[in-house]
This record gives sequence, C-alpha cells and structure tokens, in this order.
Amino acid sequence: MGMGAEGGAKPGPDGYFLRAERITKVYSDGTVAVRDVTLELRPGEIVGLLGENGAGKTTLTKVLSGLLPPTRGRVVSPRGPVRFASPREALDFGIGMVHQHFALVGTFTAVENVALSHERPLTPLKLDATRAKLEALMAESGLKVPLDVPVEKLAVGEQQRVEILKVLSQDVDLLILDEPTSVLTPLEVDELFKLLRRLRDEGKAIVLITHKLREVGAITDRVVVLRKGAVVGDVSTAAVTREELAQLMVGKAVGTRAERAVELSTDEIPAHGSHGHSERGPGVLHVEGLSVAGTTKPIAVHDLTFDVYGGEIFGIAGVEGNGQTELVEALTGLRPALKGTATIHGKNILGLDPRQIYKLGVAHIPEDRWVLGLVLPFTLAENAILGVHRWDQFRGPLSVLRWGKINAHVRALMERFEIQATGPNAPAKSLSGGNQQKLIVGRELAKDPAIVIASQPTRGLDVGAAQYIRDTLVEMRDRGRAILLVSADLDEVLALSDRVAIMYEGRFMAVARPEELDREKIGMLMGGVGVKG
Amino acid sequence: MTGTGARPGDRLLRGVHRTLTGLHPAVESVLAAILGLLVGAVLMYIWGYDPWRAYWALLKGAFGGDYEIASSIARGVPLILTGLTFSICLRAGMFNIGAEGQMYVGAAASICVAYFSLPHPWHLVVGILFAAAAGVLWSLGPALLKLTRGVSEVISTIMFNWISRFLVFYLVAYVLVDPRQAQRTVRIPLSARFPILVPGTDLSAAVYLAVGFALFVYVLLWHTAVGYEVRAAGLNPTAARYGGISIKRTMVLSFALGGVAAGLAGAATTMGLPPTYAIISGLPELMNLGFDGMAVAMVGRNHPIGILFAALFFGGLNAGGRVMQFYGANPVPLEMVRVVMGAIVLAMAIPELARVLPAVAGAARGLVRTLSPKARKEAA
Amino acid sequence: MRKWLGLALVVALVAAPAVAQALRGKVAVVLDVGGRGDLSFNDMGFKGTDQAAEDFGLEMVEVQSATAADYLPNLRNLARTREYDLIICVGFLLGDALAQAAEEFPNQKFAIIDSVVDAPNVMSIVFRENEMSALIGALAAMAAAHHGYPKAGVVLGIEIPVLYHFEAGFRFGMDWGNKKYAAVTGRPANVELLYTYTGTFSNIALGKAATEAMLAQGAVGVYNVAGPLGIGDLEAITEYHRNKGTKSGPPYYFGVDANQDWMGKGMHGLASGMKRVDVGCYMAVESVVRGTFKGGVVSLGLKEKGVGISRYQDLLEFIEFGVKAGALKAEDIAETILNWQANRATLPDWIWAAIDELEAGILNGTIVVPTADTVAEMQAVRALYTLGAP
Repeated sequence: MGMGAEGGAKPGPDGYFLRAERITKVYSDGTVAVRDVTLELRPGEIVGLLGENGAGKTTLTKVLSGLLPPTRGRVVSPRGPVRFASPREALDFGIGMVHQHFALVGTFTAVENVALSHERPLTPLKLDATRAKLEALMAESGLKVPLDVPVEKLAVGEQQRVEILKVLSQDVDLLILDEPTSVLTPLEVDELFKLLRRLRDEGKAIVLITHKLREVGAITDRVVVLRKGAVVGDVSTAAVTREELAQLMVGKAVGTRAERAVELSTDEIPAHGSHGHSERGPGVLHVEGLSVAGTTKPIAVHDLTFDVYGGEIFGIAGVEGNGQTELVEALTGLRPALKGTATIHGKNILGLDPRQIYKLGVAHIPEDRWVLGLVLPFTLAENAILGVHRWDQFRGPLSVLRWGKINAHVRALMERFEIQATGPNAPAKSLSGGNQQKLIVGRELAKDPAIVIASQPTRGLDVGAAQYIRDTLVEMRDRGRAILLVSADLDEVLALSDRVAIMYEGRFMAVARPEELDREKIGMLMGGVGVKG
Repeated sequence: MTGTGARPGDRLLRGVHRTLTGLHPAVESVLAAILGLLVGAVLMYIWGYDPWRAYWALLKGAFGGDYEIASSIARGVPLILTGLTFSICLRAGMFNIGAEGQMYVGAAASICVAYFSLPHPWHLVVGILFAAAAGVLWSLGPALLKLTRGVSEVISTIMFNWISRFLVFYLVAYVLVDPRQAQRTVRIPLSARFPILVPGTDLSAAVYLAVGFALFVYVLLWHTAVGYEVRAAGLNPTAARYGGISIKRTMVLSFALGGVAAGLAGAATTMGLPPTYAIISGLPELMNLGFDGMAVAMVGRNHPIGILFAALFFGGLNAGGRVMQFYGANPVPLEMVRVVMGAIVLAMAIPELARVLPAVAGAARGLVRTLSPKARKEAA
Repeated sequence: MRKWLGLALVVALVAAPAVAQALRGKVAVVLDVGGRGDLSFNDMGFKGTDQAAEDFGLEMVEVQSATAADYLPNLRNLARTREYDLIICVGFLLGDALAQAAEEFPNQKFAIIDSVVDAPNVMSIVFRENEMSALIGALAAMAAAHHGYPKAGVVLGIEIPVLYHFEAGFRFGMDWGNKKYAAVTGRPANVELLYTYTGTFSNIALGKAATEAMLAQGAVGVYNVAGPLGIGDLEAITEYHRNKGTKSGPPYYFGVDANQDWMGKGMHGLASGMKRVDVGCYMAVESVVRGTFKGGVVSLGLKEKGVGISRYQDLLEFIEFGVKAGALKAEDIAETILNWQANRATLPDWIWAAIDELEAGILNGTIVVPTADTVAEMQAVRALYTLGAP
C-alpha cells in the first residue's frame, strides 16, 4: 500500500519517526547486502551509520528512501507500515536522501535545479516560487549558496549545499546523507556539521553514513554499526569509545583460528606473511614526497614517502577512496603527479607514459579489469598482447602481427595460469571474472617485472580464483620480485603482506608488520584516528 | 574511480562479435535484406505498382548480364572508399562525418594533373597521389582541433564539409574552370584516366584501387601492431592507454587514413568515371557520395570486406533502380524507387546501427562537451 | 491546334509511308538531377513530349536521374533496348553523357535541350534566352524606377553558359529600361542589379535565402533563373508582402521557363521569361514522326516563339498546366486571374507599351540583345552594363 502524498507524518507517541523492522535485502545475484536489520529513527537525533565498504550501509538507506524494495521485513511509521514505490513517494512522505554523487544539472543554476526537483510531468517550472522558498530556507538554516550561478561553477561543498537545500525544500523530516564529508575540505565539514546540528535542533531526524570514527564522535547522538549486512552495535555515542567502535566495525579476531574460520566461512585466507621469509632484497620502488590530485578532490595523495623492496609484499589497506587509486595511477603513468619523486631502481618514472614505465620493469594489475585491464570485445589473444604488442617476437616486417606466435604464447599462458577458455580466439568477455583476472595476471607476469603493482587483484572473484591469484603473487615475491598490493580486503592485505600501510585521506596512518597491528588498532587507523605508540 | 574516459568504448562493447539476432552476420544481413524488400514491396503495392515486376527489373538491371554487373560495380567504387573513411575512424572510436568534404578536395586536387603532361601510368599515379594528399590535409583539420582543443569531430567534420563544398565551388567556377565550357573544370587528359575495363560501361580500373585499398585497410587493422592499437583505442581508450598506446597517435592516424580513402574516392570519380572526367559546377557527380558511404559502412558492418559487398549491393540497387523507371507497362518513378531503396538500406543497416548507437550517444556527449565551457577548460 | 497536328500526321503517313513504318512507337525523356515538380524547366520538357506522344499516338517513358553519375547509364540503358524512336535529354547537364552515348549508339536518334552536341544523330535545341530576359530586365528596371526601388534582383542556379544568356539579356534590358524611364518621365533612373549564382538547381531553401537578402537591399523583385528555386523565391516574396500587409505591387516575382505568373494564386507574379522547352520537345518528336529529323543546332528565339514574355493568353494555358500538376485548385482559377490583373495594374500602361516596343525592335532586328557563352564574353557584357554589380 502506498502512502503517497500525505507528507510530513509526525512522530507517534512512541517518539519515533520511522522504524525498519527486520529488513533483509538480497540482490538478484544472491548477495545478501542487508541481514535482518531493525533500526529506529527519531526526530531530533543524528544517527551515525558506521561500517566498512560493503557492510550494507548504502543498501539499507536505499531501502529506507524507497529506491529499493526490501526482500523481507517492513518499514513502519507510527501510523502503520509504509511502502514506497519510488523515491518520489518517499520524498512526499518526508524522507530525503543526499547521495554521494550529486544529482544536479551542471549548466542549471541552483534555483533551476531545485525547481526541477519539484517538477511534475507537464507542469511548467515555478522559478519565482522556488526562489522565494530557497531564500526563506537559506535565511532560516544559515545555509548560503549563490542562486544564479550554474552549479558546475560552484565548489563541491557548495554543490552539496545545493543538494541539501534541494532536499530540505521538500519539507523532509528525515534527512539521509551518504558519506557527505568525503568530498569536502575540513572547513566545509565544520560548516556542514553546524548545519546538521541546527537541523537536528529543529526536530529533524538525520542519518549520516560514514566510515570515519572521528566524525561519529563529533556529530552523532547514536551510532549503528553494520558489518556484513547485520547490525553489530546500536549504542549511544556518548557511551562508547572509539576503540570499541573500531572493533565492532572491523570485527574482532576472536578466539582460535578455527572459530575465526567459521565466522569468515569461505573467506579464510592462509597467512603468507614473512614467516620464514624475512630477507628482503634491494629497494625497487622509491617514492618520496609524492602528491597527486584526485578526480573530485584537489589533493588525493598527500606527500607520501615509502619504499618497496625486492622479495616483499608491501600492502596498502584502507577504506576505498582514500587516495589508493590515485597513488597507483600516478605510479603507472595514468595520472600526473603534483610533486615529489618516484623511481624504479633509481630511474625516475613520474611523467613517463605507461609503456616507458613498463619498460623499466613495472607490471600493473589494475583495479578495474573491465575498464582498464581488458578490451572486452577483443579476443583472449588480442588481450594477451595489450601493452606488449610491439615485442619483437610478436611482430614481423612492416609491423605485421605474427598471430601464430601470439597464439602459441597465449596457449602457454592458458596452461600456466589455468585459464579456462575455448581458445585464443575466445572473446575476453565470454570468460568468467576469475579467468579474466588470470589472463591479466598472466600477461603482466609475462613481462618478467621487477615490481608488480596489484590493485584489488581478487575483487569479485570466487574463492578458488582469488586464492590462485594470491598464491601467484606470493610466488613472485618468493622469487625476489617486489609487490605493491592495494586492497580494500583487510584480511587479504594482512595475510599476504610483509609490511602494511594504512591509508587514510591520502596519508599513511601507519606502516608496520602485520603482526604488530591488532584489528582494533587497524579499525581506528582506517577510520582516521591516530594511534599512539 | 578511473573517470569517464572508458565509457564510449565500454558502450561499444555490446555485440561487437555478436550480431543483433545471434545469427551469423551474413545470414542476418540476408534476413534484413528480405525484410527491407518486403517493406518495399508493400509500399509499392499500396501505391499501385507491381512489386514483382519492379523487383524483376531491379534484379535484371543490377545483375542481369555483363553490362549490368559492370555498371553495378562501377557505381559502388567510390562508395567503397567513402565507406572505409567512416569505418576506419569508427574503429578508432570516432565519428568522422567528413568523407564528403575530403572527397571534394581530393577530386579538385586530381583535376590539377590537367595542367601538365606525363606518360600514361605515371600521370594517373600522380593524380591519385594528389587526391590522397588533399584528402589527408583536409582530414587533419578536424583531427588537430580534436587533439588540441577537444572539439568534437562530429561538429568539426560537418563544418569542414561546408567549407570544402564552397571552396570547391569556387575552384570549379574560377580557378580550374575550362575557359570554353564554364560549367565545368578542365578535363583530365587521357593519359591520367583510369582505363575502362568493360567498354560501353562505366567500369574503370578505379575498382582495383578501391578494392586494393579495402584489402590494405583490412590487413592494417587486423594484422599489424598499428592497426591493433587503433582498434584497441576505439574499443576501450582507457585500457589502450594502460597498454601504452597513444590515443592521439591512433586518432591522427585513422583520420589521415580516412582522408586518403576519401581523397581517392574523389579521384576515382574525376579520373575514372565517364564521360565528363571533370568536376561540373554544383558537383553533381560527387554530391552525397561521402554520406552514402556511411550507409555502406553500416550495411557492411564497418568491416573492409563487408564494405566491399555492401558497396556492390548499393551499386546494384542504384543500377537496378534506374531500370525500374522504364521497365514494363507500369514503371516505378524514381521517387518511389528511392523510397524502396531507402527501406532496403535502412533494414540492412539496422543490425549495425543497433550496435553502434551507444557509440553515437558517446559522440553526442562529446558534442555536448565541446559546447560546454567547463569541459573545454578541462580538455585544455 | 491538336487537331491540326493530327491532320498533319495523317498527311505525313500518306506522304511518307516508309518513314512511318520505321517508327517503333516509343519516345523517352531523360531529366537531370533537378527532376520533376519544378513547375518550370523539367515539367515543361515533360509536358511538350507528353503532348507530342499523345498527338502522334506514341508511348512515352520518363527517366529521372538520382545523381549526375546516372546520366550516361540512363541513356545507355534506354538506347540498348532499341525500342525508342527518340530519346530527349532535357537539360544542359546531360550534354557530356549524350556526346558519349551518341557515339556509342549511332543509330539511335537523340535530342537535347540547351546544349550543343556535335553528332549526326543529335538534334541540339537551344534558346535565345537573352531576348526574353531583356524584356524582363527592362520591365524590372522601369517598375523599380516607377515605385522608387533602388535595385532589381536575379537569382541564378549553377554558373553555366546557358545562364549567361539570361544574365546578359537581363543586364541589357535593365539598361534599356533605365534609359527608357528617363526618356519618358524626364527623371533619371539608376536602378542597380543584384545577382547571385546559388550553385544549385535543386536546393529551394537557397533560393528563398538569396531572395530574402535581395529584398532586404531594396529589390523591386526577383527574376528566377534557377528552375525549382523559384518556389523559394516566391515564398520569400509572399512572406515579405504578408509582413508588410500588402496584396499586390512590389516586390514582384519574375518567373522563368514556364509561365509562372499563376503561382501563389497570381498575387505576385508580374511576368515570366518564358522559354518554351515544351515547344522544343514537341518539335523534336514531330520531326521524327514526319521523317524530317536531322542532326544539328536548332535555335529558338522570339521570332520562332521559342521564348517570350508572358501575356494574358499564356496565363490561361499555364493555369491549366498548374491545375494538372496539382499546384493550383480549379476553383481558384478566377481569383488567380483577378489577382494577376490587379498586380499588373500596379504599373502604368506606358511601361507595358515600352515592353511591346522593345519586343518589336528585337523582332525586326533594329535592337540586338547581347549574349555570352564563355566567362570572357560574360565579363565583357558585365563591363558594358555594370549596373552597380560588375
């Protein structure tokens, strides 16, 4: 039953505005994103929704705001169950969401964007009424934005304010913000928090999705911690320490190995750390003072300095979006650096193109194999020579490709890396994700590199393929190669790496051997809280 | 996030090796042709013409004998070349609408051989080189604009077509004009003409040039490292960059190669098509060959070998369409012939259009980017 | 007239049975890329041949050309059948193709309008367009001077020698009109010329654009020398009147080839420079039927009634032509005639008398209208009659 446009349902006697009851969301591919979650949202309260990547935060809020229907469970208001067929209905009911990626028309002004959000089919835009409403809202909330400038000309923080105004102009009672601070400067964050407190004091219910522990402490009244789709903590912010939250978020390494294996089910990763392999070789990659601009942020990597040695796996852990991608792109010639130096065996690599860098001994297993690693419509054979297609063994006179030799090379790769495919001429997109990734790994390792830069190498792979890739990386390490491993999978980084760096907002919070770090500490570091000692 | 650079290629992925129906491309094309013929038949029937007699005339006029087959091939020759222009650039991920204008300047350049004399094959060869060079020069304008200023090639090639059109109008009327025959340029001398292969028809040795160039493009794209780079850049520019391929290089290269093809199309018309061997004021022999080439490229699935067959098919439709006009008791007027031909061509282009349309959307976004000041700033 | 021709046919059949037996019974008209529907040149070629075919009991086939590359194949396709007594090429653009085809098929009789093809089996029919264009030019200049307009315009098609005939005649006529106006009224007249070669015989929008530009510069009217583009010219003039709220008077439309005065219900067509392509085509068919066909040039001018300026009786004939083409409704005929008469009445009688005087002078040879076939000759005429537009 839709509870359409009644709008502004006021809190009932119980004092809650909206309650999620035993919500479960299973995606069509079988992923259980949210598991039996019960959650109450009250007016005048800021709730922090805390969790790692993939913990189910965004899915849960999408269910609340009508973007996704729950598989099981229901959403209840004091007047009874509600079900929204669309975000529009949820908005009419008083629930508004500010997404990470703004839904603004760049060439329109703030007034036009907001008027557009109020538009119904076949009605003209009410620009004057919208302007009046926005001016009133701005005066009331203290939120200031230029109204007559195309929003693409505004700073990101201002664009976010337009987005918030857009939602507020719909008279919402519940405001959900998805990682609102990830694109903001510290000053803008302070402004935002001031605004949120004010809105809370006016009686709005606010949900703030975040993975930053500092923010939870700074702004929320209550914090709900999600892990693997389930609520693992729902506590008053005042009554909990950061350490406890970090533990809840990352999951405590409890009890024996066997118990942990049960908890992680198929995700168990045998430790490959430096046990019996503590000798590290000469320095291969040297990075000093490296800063890199991001796509949305002016600076994504801040003044990083580190070394990677032959015979070691240097792992970089951290919540995604903290500069890992930009770091890898800068080191592989895909993104210019702002300043600093990076050398392979003493030779500069910054400012070179990917091919020159590969010639210095760098292999790159990219984080997105569909966008970066493969030309999907190409055949296996065509993909197997991407980047090495000018090798002399593959080329005859007049640059004619010797497909015979290439196919032989591909068959060898298929055998060595156990790539399941009908043959060298199978289109790459017909392969499973695991085989695609093995193809990339095989291609990159065939370059016989001095260093392998592997970014999220096992993402989306089944257990067997993931393990195969990990074993291969370890084998390369054991053969004296340097490995720079970037992964959002904390278990993977801890199990494989000889040294681990925790990256937060473009900086390393710590660099240590995995056994020196406990999970609580890692959780704090990933959440941006420095740890002494 | 790796940004949006990968998107156009990403959209091109769908069905590159697969056809719309999942059938073999040739089977699918035949089915599409039958569908088009049926639609054409229904149209003719509705308007009171006899579809069977009309199609019989079409078939006879297109492939009824040596004369007819030679005429069909001759009509397809320039379309092979302009079709290649479009396809090469599409394979490189760009929408080059500029074959028309590049062909005009190529034709005008070939006329210049009338002002000096050389023995037979060499005079012809020099004319071919002139036309190719002019086509390349004209194609480099849009290529450089895209490279340096981020200007969408869709816009720039269309603009260059207009510039070329009026430039060649001017050249025909005032520079290359035959003083005794003001309606056309001076004529290509005998020593610089493609020899006629079948006397009494339009089929000249220009067909060797066109087929040879198509085979060359096939080998280049599928059997050389350079062509590999072009195709990789077209399908997924981000992955190509990751693979150390210079997108700018593949872009300029494919534009230049397209310019050669278009220039040759101009030469094939001025030096290889009886009876005029000159450019007539208003360019009536050249007009639309570049745009028709895009349709040929679509029907030929943007593959050089497919284009050869598609151009023959187009030539046959045109040659047969001429005969439909006077064959039998109730002949079909040209207007109706063209409607029927349009239905057939559209049906045959649908599978490839469906595949390429996402890329069209990509080109449209490029267009928007060109027009938006913010994007221009970023490109710079 | 048709009856008389029928009689002639009977006479011919009796007098020359051998020729009649040789007839195959079919004639063909090949049109250039302009195609049918121009209510002018191409439609006139069709009209004349169709009339002749009907009068002489022949079958007529019409072949259009999609592109210039179709000209020669179309001629070959027709000649190869050996079924046609005569193949008529309507239009100068077919000249090169015909030269080739005439050589390949020496036993096939051809005729061509507007071009000279030197072959024993080709009858080349050309018109002295300079003569009727002089009449239109004189009328335009005097009308402009009378209404106080500074200019008169000509919108031309592709820059080909045939069109030089029009331009040369028009220039001479304007000069003559300027002088005549000064002589009659005692006030000097310096009406200047606006002319544009649009480079097309098919893009109607370009005709409209060119006309709009000329009207903006004060042209009293526009002489259409580009076949179908006249539709665009007239559209621009009609819109101009609508915006001004006038129903007749300047700016005027001067039609070409056919009598186009009736177009747009006769509201703005003042006079047409008629080039009777239909007369030429009819004559060619007739000569084949009578066995008098022979290769060579046939030149048609005012004297042969191959060209002329439109008058009332022409209007009636071509109104019928327009109704047949579906461009004019039968119930609008009366209104059209009244509109045309009202429009003509916006000029004083002495101007019309002056046109008659010029025509008579050309007919009796006391006035010689210059013409041009090459760039050099055209430039010489332009230098002689500059009219502010060399």
